[in-house]
Amino acid sequence: MIRPELICPAGTPAALKSAVDSGADCVYVGFRDETNARNFPGLNFSRKELEEGIAYAHARGAKVLVAINTFPRAGHPQLWQAAVDDSARLGADAVILADIGLIDYAARTHPELRLHLSVQAAASNPQAIAFYAERFGVKRVVLPRVLTVPEIAAINRAVAPVETEVFVFGGLCVMAEGRCALSSYATGQSPNMNGVCSPASHVRYVESGRGITSQLAGFTINQFGLNEPAGYPTLCKGRFNAAGKTSYLFEEPTSLNTLAMLPDLINAGVAAFKIEGRQRGRAYVAAVVQAFRQSVDAVMAGRPLPDINLDSITEGGRQTTGAYEKAWR
Amino acid sequence: MMEGPNRAGQSKPMIPPFSPVLLLGLALRPVRPALLQPVFDHLLKVVRSRHPDILERLEVYGERSVCIDPIDLPFALILEPDPTNPRLTVRRFVDSDEVHATIRGPLETLIALAEGRMDGDALFFSRQLVVEGDTEVVVALRNAIDGAGIDLVADLTAALGPLAQPARRAAGAVMDLVSSLRGSVETVRQSFIAPALQGAASRDARLAELEAEVKALRKATRRGGVA
Repeated sequence: MIRPELICPAGTPAALKSAVDSGADCVYVGFRDETNARNFPGLNFSRKELEEGIAYAHARGAKVLVAINTFPRAGHPQLWQAAVDDSARLGADAVILADIGLIDYAARTHPELRLHLSVQAAASNPQAIAFYAERFGVKRVVLPRVLTVPEIAAINRAVAPVETEVFVFGGLCVMAEGRCALSSYATGQSPNMNGVCSPASHVRYVESGRGITSQLAGFTINQFGLNEPAGYPTLCKGRFNAAGKTSYLFEEPTSLNTLAMLPDLINAGVAAFKIEGRQRGRAYVAAVVQAFRQSVDAVMAGRPLPDINLDSITEGGRQTTGAYEKAWR
Repeated sequence: MMEGPNRAGQSKPMIPPFSPVLLLGLALRPVRPALLQPVFDHLLKVVRSRHPDILERLEVYGERSVCIDPIDLPFALILEPDPTNPRLTVRRFVDSDEVHATIRGPLETLIALAEGRMDGDALFFSRQLVVEGDTEVVVALRNAIDGAGIDLVADLTAALGPLAQPARRAAGAVMDLVSSLRGSVETVRQSFIAPALQGAASRDARLAELEAEVKALRKATRRGGVA
């Protein structure tokens, strides 16, 4: 049985320390620019902060992965290539890439640098994974959140020794990652190119006697009653009127939580468990990392899973096992 | 509920929790905000000195002002994060037109957020925090502060040299006192609202009876009979 690594998010140096101190095997981070898919205001790392963060993590036996997982602007790859160069120079343990041209650049320029394929590349079958591994030496693939556990197990059997990494907690993308155009349609900015899904600059919350209305670039996304738990103001989690009915057309505000499924995912041969949430605060990072550290350790030691409640930090106050079970089939 | 800051402009004012802070707020109502200004000048100076990265992260938002509104206190703060000349101003009233954005919540929640003990998104999801206006500067401020690793007691007492340790112990004693007061205040709150809760429970029971009657009548109507 493979002991899966726990891959934890950090949007700031303080969050990186929280993740490491809470038991992360690896922390993934991004630079303070559009080269990563969490290019949010006030978030992310300068080069100096990354260097210090790597030193902090390495001194405690943890690794640091750098997400450079947006797609470079046509004809202007320099910013993305510099991010790869600096990650290698500063001693990052791996880079997480999505763009095939950037992967080629990294493989040729820094052959010693470990390459992970981002979920943004949406490689969801053995043939796609084998191409990235054979052509560029990609060592690990982050699987899209559209596969069931048996499908993941089948992929692992087919692609070994290439490792797979799956999301185990946090926000969900209902669309094929890297290909969603909803944010771009509404705001002109997308997670794929600019690193921002539903950018805060386009979000407004309007309080009224009936509750709160969230708007994105002038589109009303949702209305929450006075005490109803709220969610992120993304179009995919909007509540719309269609065919005379108001409902969530794409996805409800909810967080992925696979704590109860960890034994199944470990048995499926997954090499790494990823926690989503570089945009979340230190309190979230500490709570989720501790919960998964305890749970993974319990499974590996043959003990029962601990009963840990993460309701208070979930989106919309709700949790789901997402596509891993595909209960709607 | 407590009057003050820009709550007059709120379309749906938040109701502050009944807590020791709310009682403190009531006691502070006669105090002129100008008298409190030196406290916040010192706070800003200390935070700026110990966490310069906050203003660095907010550099591009230096022109945007944010109202920080503790709903259980009779005043609010206006933060102007200009990297060269930041200001934290105490005001009795803040018109929403004066600032680019407002963050509103109970004082203890705002402090927990500043110290990274609570997650901002989770507070927003659970409606314990209200954000109005320019969401971008609020997100930037939240991320900058969360990333700084602020510890208000440690930060404020650090400059006291040999007196820092006794000051921290004193602060701890105050926090313990607030904790014990919270229990007493909760007892008082329960006592105040007990009659209302009993009334609500009685109305809920009556409502359930009526719903059952309506259901039975509808069923009978569908069958063409009379209940």
